Amino acid sequence: MVIPSPDKLVEGNVSVLAKFGYQAFDGADEDWTGMWALLKGDFATAESSVVPDFDAMTPSKQEAAKIYMRRRLIADRFFEECRACQADLYKGIDTEQMERYTLARDAYEDSVNHFGEAREKLEQVLKGIFW
Amino acid sequence: MKTYDKGDKLPDHYKECLINLMTFQADSEYAGAQRVAENHRFAPRPEEAYRLSKKVMEEMGHGYYIWNLLRDLGVDVDSRLHELASNSENPDPKIVNVINGFRKENWSAFFECWEDVALFSTVVTPAAVAFLGQYRECSYLPWARVNVRIHKEEHGHLAFGVWASKRCIEFGGEKTREFMQQRIPKFMQMGLGFYGRPSKGDGKSEMFDIYHEYGLKIKTPEELQAEYLELLTDRLGDIGFEVPQGVEADYDMRIGYGVE
Repeated sequence: MVIPSPDKLVEGNVSVLAKFGYQAFDGADEDWTGMWALLKGDFATAESSVVPDFDAMTPSKQEAAKIYMRRRLIADRFFEECRACQADLYKGIDTEQMERYTLARDAYEDSVNHFGEAREKLEQVLKGIFW
Repeated sequence: MKTYDKGDKLPDHYKECLINLMTFQADSEYAGAQRVAENHRFAPRPEEAYRLSKKVMEEMGHGYYIWNLLRDLGVDVDSRLHELASNSENPDPKIVNVINGFRKENWSAFFECWEDVALFSTVVTPAAVAFLGQYRECSYLPWARVNVRIHKEEHGHLAFGVWASKRCIEFGGEKTREFMQQRIPKFMQMGLGFYGRPSKGDGKSEMFDIYHEYGLKIKTPEELQAEYLELLTDRLGDIGFEVPQGVEADYDMRIGYGVE
């Protein structure tokens, strides 16, 4: 669900972005608490084995965790695109399909790298280091 | 060195040797990706799982690159992909040409835990980087160009191995570092055997001189071994491992690819 900014100028930007295809997300919000429960193990280190639940985090830490999880969701979409390209390569390998697959997997690889960068940032934020 | 480009008439025996080496690379790249996919079960944390998944996609992409060139040489590449995809555990050697080390029965024996997965990319991948790197300068120019692309990406896999190994130690501490150090030799044997038997002496490959003369293999196994050891020493040192001494090459994890 979209929560509008109280600032009219920001809301005015929406109509400009809409000229280029922006659409308000009208689906249900992600289950951040549930997703975090599956991912939090990545943040338990030898130094600190206790990782807070999503609901126990401060708003800034929750925001960093959401960014990390959104990066993962983007990677998931690119992963699906790779699989679709592979299905077409299975019908017949040619230059066009091979290059298409290469572009898709490059995007997937970038998205996984971004996921990793978001993890590193979140790791710092969880320690209270913001910049 | 005489070179050939796409569409050039290739001498019969040269073409036969070229197709043999290219099918070997393409089929093995794809089969290697399948083995990496099987190792996914060892991933201990989400980022490890995603980074390994990315590697699978990349290795499969290398197979597609080479198969696409082989199609231009009149090879039925679709049947090779179909065989590997539908019969991944035991592909028919009459249809595909896969390195022994990437056959499931051989591969599986090497992997018992995530640390093995990290070490494979750290210790064996430098051999692939050195070995495949020579094809960038080979006499068949389309294959040389595509290997420039592949070589760049293989360097990324090397980075994955170092990253994954460091993470193992970060989470497991000194005990894990010692555990991994003990497991390096089994992978180093595979790495040392990757580029074949020495170019001279009783055990030399019958085909090496021909490939070398045709400009299909640019470097001797001895030169590749030196390159491998330099890369390996650098990467192991970066992680804090020592290079094991007295490790013998295992040549059985690859295949001899002679042409009758």
